[in-house]
Amino acid sequence: MIKLDLQSRTPLYLQMEQQLIDLILLGQLHENDQLPSVRNFARDLGINPNTIQKAYQDLENRGIIYSAAGRGNFVASPSAAGDLKRRECMQTLDGLLGDARRAGVSREEVHAAVDAAYDKPKEGDAQ
Amino acid sequence: MIHTEHLTKAFGNFVALDNLDTTIQTGSIYGLVGSNGSGKSTLLRLISGVYYPNGGWVRIDDQDVFENPALKNRIFFLSDDLYFFSKATVDEMADFYRQVYTRFDNKKYEEYKKLFPIDTSKRINTFSKGMKRQAALMLALCCMPDYLLLDEAFDGLDPVIRLMVKKLIMGEIAEREMTVMVTSHNLRELEDLCDHVGLLHKGRILFERDLDDLRLGLCKVQAVLPKDPDWGAAGLNVMQCKRQGSVVNLLVRGSADETLDAVRALGASFVEAVPLTLEEVFIGEMEGVGYDYDNLVF
Repeated sequence: MIKLDLQSRTPLYLQMEQQLIDLILLGQLHENDQLPSVRNFARDLGINPNTIQKAYQDLENRGIIYSAAGRGNFVASPSAAGDLKRRECMQTLDGLLGDARRAGVSREEVHAAVDAAYDKPKEGDAQ
Repeated sequence: MIHTEHLTKAFGNFVALDNLDTTIQTGSIYGLVGSNGSGKSTLLRLISGVYYPNGGWVRIDDQDVFENPALKNRIFFLSDDLYFFSKATVDEMADFYRQVYTRFDNKKYEEYKKLFPIDTSKRINTFSKGMKRQAALMLALCCMPDYLLLDEAFDGLDPVIRLMVKKLIMGEIAEREMTVMVTSHNLRELEDLCDHVGLLHKGRILFERDLDDLRLGLCKVQAVLPKDPDWGAAGLNVMQCKRQGSVVNLLVRGSADETLDAVRALGASFVEAVPLTLEEVFIGEMEGVGYDYDNLVF
């Protein structure tokens, strides 16, 4: 369920975090669902267990997952993941809009694109 | 934990390792990069107790390794030139290792026989280079070492086998906190494997770092700025600055987000973070400690 790009400049643990957050937002992982153990993840993906541990630790610090001693890691409330994703989206959007402005995309065209995106049927969105 | 202090090894007049201090934490994968003759294999031979140091010491779990059979039972050193008994088959080599390593796992051996596409009843000297590597790796993992020292171990493996071996090693680390040290002259070979890398040059470790920190610790930025401002005053630790007309290319120590904000605040009309390869990070870091990377060939 996780695909890592070994060639990417983004550290693997950040890629893992991103994808787990996306899975939570897409509704593939629900609140209180158990995440795969570090051991299984390491063996299935061939990824350094320390990397996986780091990703889990970081997600826990950000309140996206929680750990229960001896039982493993679980998904916390999806709202934490949602907040984070929204903030990131706004940042990306900011950069993209800057690019669009420089490339001569007009305000109206951007407005039209926004309207189109928000009127689209909810395909692939969270229920 | 592997710990060395002032470790020195000389062969005649040639000093292979020079006052080397390093610590390798249990459960981590430590990659050692360096050019030919930089001392990688010598360090592994000292850690595995093959050589006796001329100065300083190396300890594993606070014990000396040299002539310490109980500790050596938990260490497996896979040399870059593999050694098998003449005319031996893989099964016969397994019999030998079973006698040497008390923790040899027979169940694991049977499992691996199915995983690795080699015929263990055939003589190893009829094998290709890659098949010999596979046989050696398979036997190494079956000995259940706590410390696995691999010298150029992935040399000659095809990508499918490489991934399989990687998965097996990762599984062992997760399961029983095995510690792995792996050397290579090629940084790219290590980057998807290790959590720490050390750069060895002329018998010394020039620097060692957490790979993720290394990736995130430097960023390359391209910006349009009419003239060079006072970078320091803007809170930027600029390591390199190259200008072409109104476009500047900066190599900055710090996170990408903060750097971009700071450069924007200087009034740049266009700022962009450019992805950095691990090699470029290394070059940057090396120049930071006063070495010219071009003289160190990978």
